Amino acid sequence: MAEFKRQSPVRFTASPIETEERDHWTVALEYENEGHGPWIGDLAHKARWDLQDGGLEDITPCDLIIPEIPGQCTFSGDMLINRMNRTQASIYHLGSEAPPIPDFQGYTDVSESSVFLALFGPNIFSVAEKLTRLDFMEPGNTAPFLLQGPFCHVPCQIVVLDSGVDGGFLLTCSRGYGDSMVHAILEAGAEIGLRPAGEKRFGSWIAALNRE
Amino acid sequence: MALTLTCPVCGKRNGYEFRYGGEDKGPRPAEEGLTPRAWCDYVHMNTCTVGIQKEWWCHRDGCGAWFTTFRDTTKNLEVKPPEAENGQA
Repeated sequence: MAEFKRQSPVRFTASPIETEERDHWTVALEYENEGHGPWIGDLAHKARWDLQDGGLEDITPCDLIIPEIPGQCTFSGDMLINRMNRTQASIYHLGSEAPPIPDFQGYTDVSESSVFLALFGPNIFSVAEKLTRLDFMEPGNTAPFLLQGPFCHVPCQIVVLDSGVDGGFLLTCSRGYGDSMVHAILEAGAEIGLRPAGEKRFGSWIAALNRE
Repeated sequence: MALTLTCPVCGKRNGYEFRYGGEDKGPRPAEEGLTPRAWCDYVHMNTCTVGIQKEWWCHRDGCGAWFTTFRDTTKNLEVKPPEAENGQA
């Protein structure tokens, strides 16, 4: 079989100083001069599944329960399950490896059809509020929670993992918006030092969230 | 004042996130005995209510849900269902 390569929909101008080949993706582990935050991380190589079924309450992806109410999320270890509506949930695998997709017709692997970014670190919500009118700080929402709405005028799924000052969120949208989305976010965050970060820094953030 | 609408999944959001889907005309007419004129009226004719009207909307930039809600066309504001205001809902 011919060798093939998976390509992230986003590109950073910064150069990675350490990379790793993983499942045909080139994963940036660390960038030069990542700074003190906030950071933007490209997570295109992380597996994402959509699940659609009329009986979601009877399905337990990787032994986790799907939240009952749209907007709620289940976050355990490296796995995040987001309830989108009555019949749909999205599943993100945030670790370095994902389990094989379950043999059930309701699952669709959408990893290569979407942009997947992590925005985290000090004052990251100051960047976000320039680009969206979605309310990340609504008192009625307890992190993690899912917002479905426009970011840079693009329909997105946004999961706020930590709404604190040093918190952060994950963002997915259609693949074609990748370059312009990253350009807009980096422009908006330039004044507070937003810089690309590799998977190591993202992994540390997720590990810290799991310890809390 | 800008229109806000209440999506059943995402809650109250800016009206620019939604796509208008037309007046709610009730269920599709039965095909048995349906005349071309009656079908044409169902598809194309609107009541254009001046006041509170039941409408279809789609949360285009959000969850994608289609839902019905009530809007006061004279003020361009979402309002409670008329029966709810009378305490019947």
